[in-house]
Amino acid sequence: MSRYQVDKFLRDINHDRALAERWRTESGAVFDRYDLTSDEREALATWHVRKLYDMGANPLLLLLSAFASGKGMREYMGAMNPKE
Amino acid sequence: MAEIVAGVACSHVPFLAMHPEFERAGVEQRNRVVAGFEAARQILEEADPDAIVVFSNDHFDRCFYDNLPAFLVGVGEEAAGPPYDTLAVPKARVKVMSELGRFIVDEGLERGVDFALSEDLPLDHAEIVPMSYLTPRWDRAIVPIIVNAFAPPMPSLKRCYDVGAFVRGCVERWPANKRIAFLGTGGISHWVGPPETGRINPEFDRWFLERLVRREAAEVIEKYRSRAALECTAGNGGNEIRDWLAVAGAMPEHLRARVLAYEPVQEWVTGTGVMAWAAA
Repeated sequence: MSRYQVDKFLRDINHDRALAERWRTESGAVFDRYDLTSDEREALATWHVRKLYDMGANPLLLLLSAFASGKGMREYMGAMNPKE
Repeated sequence: MAEIVAGVACSHVPFLAMHPEFERAGVEQRNRVVAGFEAARQILEEADPDAIVVFSNDHFDRCFYDNLPAFLVGVGEEAAGPPYDTLAVPKARVKVMSELGRFIVDEGLERGVDFALSEDLPLDHAEIVPMSYLTPRWDRAIVPIIVNAFAPPMPSLKRCYDVGAFVRGCVERWPANKRIAFLGTGGISHWVGPPETGRINPEFDRWFLERLVRREAAEVIEKYRSRAALECTAGNGGNEIRDWLAVAGAMPEHLRARVLAYEPVQEWVTGTGVMAWAAA
């Protein structure tokens, strides 16, 4: 996993509202500036936060990027603890 | 020489200064927390420092893995923030006692603590939220020292305590007739992002506070030498006790420590505490 690139994307989402909006509305092209594996792109595109966490993404960045993209704490905790 | 006149350590949970999040906590709990901050504010007011050395940590708004300091001293004339709207805390601007900041950096490089420095360091909620309670007129100069507490690898608990003690020595050697206080912010137990997000560990928090009151920081340092052990007990947010330990390391023996408030506030997802060191 290129953890730095995933963390960099998550950090950029926090700082750039336009990027956060593109992440919400676009598929694929928003990740082109980042050197991500296909698994990472897919996990970010589908907001699979638990998979990203298990892959080593910084958990604070995951939580902050959820807020930056309009998701609340409850939604984040549900996504981090999916029911099997 | 400069004199150390007081110390405060407290949580910086952003919900303390965000609405309606603040009001989601129960009124009795939040009143006790606010009372603790008010007591700390009065202690600082009575101590009347010319500047406050602030040990706090970043949340990826100032530092990142492209350029990551363990300890970063702000030496510009002013600091303002927050630089982004990630969390809706109030904006603030405060003067920096840059001559003391530069003295600390120079002393460090001369004597073996390799501080990084910034001429243009923004504030984030780690400084703004506590200072909105402790120095609400924004009229006390600060010397901000950012400690890495969220981007592993991070400085050890022992290193943070020792750096606090080193900065105490810098202040006491500084040839300026100034009164200096210390403030450490963060913690106590909180999980922000991991699957346990929302968990609080009051048992750890109260134990930690008692260790600092009794000047037994060495027990904390020894028991939690492993970051994994600390995170298992106090969450990834628990790494912020580094800021409290730095202040503990800086406190002269004649200042008496006491806890002013501790509440495990579930709605703020944080074991929320305030303590102070003051002349008896």
